[in-house]
Amino acid sequence: MPLSLATAPWGLLAGSMAIEANLTPLQGQGLSTIVFAGAAQLVAIGMLKGGAGVFSILLTTLLLTSQHLLYGMSMRHVISPLPGRWRIGLGFLLTDELFALTSQHDRQQFNRWYALGVGLTFYIAWNLFTLAGIVLGSSIPGLEHLGLDFSIAATFIALITPVVRNVPTVVCVAVSLFCSVLFSYWQWGSALVLSGLAGMMAGFVCNKLYRERT
Amino acid sequence: MMVWAVIFGMGILVFLNRYVFLEPRLPVRLSSNARQFLGFAVPGMLTAICGPIVFMPDKQLNLQWDNPYLLSSLVAIGLVIYTRNTLLSMLLSMAFFFLLRWWL
Repeated sequence: MPLSLATAPWGLLAGSMAIEANLTPLQGQGLSTIVFAGAAQLVAIGMLKGGAGVFSILLTTLLLTSQHLLYGMSMRHVISPLPGRWRIGLGFLLTDELFALTSQHDRQQFNRWYALGVGLTFYIAWNLFTLAGIVLGSSIPGLEHLGLDFSIAATFIALITPVVRNVPTVVCVAVSLFCSVLFSYWQWGSALVLSGLAGMMAGFVCNKLYRERT
Repeated sequence: MMVWAVIFGMGILVFLNRYVFLEPRLPVRLSSNARQFLGFAVPGMLTAICGPIVFMPDKQLNLQWDNPYLLSSLVAIGLVIYTRNTLLSMLLSMAFFFLLRWWL
C-alpha cells in the first residue's frame, strides 16, 4: 500500500503539532484514533492553539469533512445493503483515500473485505505515524519549523489541481484562495470556514450562470 | 477537559458525516442544488486551507519570490499538470521544498 506512505508526513505533523500545541500525548493520539480525519485534525489543533472556541472548531470540522457526505452518497448503493456492523465499520473508515480506491467499483466488483483491508491499513498507518510524530515532537523541539506544513499544501495542491477543469471550479478556487489569505491577514477566527464557503458559493453561482448560458 | 470535548465532538461529527448516507433507513435525498454546492467542497475547502500556509508562512503575508512555500506550490501545480500523478507530484514538490529551504 504505497499510498498509505503518503500519510507519513501528515501523521508526523499531526502528532508533533499536537505536542507543540500543548496537548497531552494521549490527546494527540486520541485525535487520530477517534477522529481519523487528517485535515480536520490539523486545523483543529491549530485552532485549539489559537484559542478558538469549541463551537467554531466543531463547525469547521463539520464543513471540512462535508465531502464525506458526498462519498457516503456515492457509496450508498454498495454499502447500505450490508449488515449494520459492516456499514458502521466501513463508514468509520471512509476516508478520501478509501473513497478514491473503491469508488469505481460497482455492486459486483465491490469487495467488503478489500475495502476493510484498505481502510484498516490507512487507519493503522495513520495512527503509527501520529505516534511517531508525538515521540519525535516531544524529544526534538522545533520539529514544526522544518516546514512539514508544506506537505499539507503539497497534498492538497495535488488533489485540487486535477479537479480544476472548468470555469466554475476556477472561480471557486480563486475566491477561496483570495478570501483565505485576506481573512487570515485580518486574523479572523473563522477565516477558513468563511473563505471555503465563499469559494463554494462562488463556484455554485457561477455554475448556475454558466449552465443557463450554454 | 475542553480538549477532550473537542476530540469526541469531532469524532461524532466526522463519523455522522461519513455514515449518514450509508444508513438504508434514511429516506431523504439531497436536492440537486445541495449536491452541486457540495461538489465544490473539495476545491473550496482544501484551497482555503492551503492559502494561508502558502502565502503567509510565519503569519505574515509573503509575496516575495524567495518564499519557498510559494515557489514549491507553483512547482507542485506544474508537476501535477505535467505528470498527472498525484503521489509523484507530492513527493517531488516536497523534495523541492526541502532543497529550496536548505539552499536559501
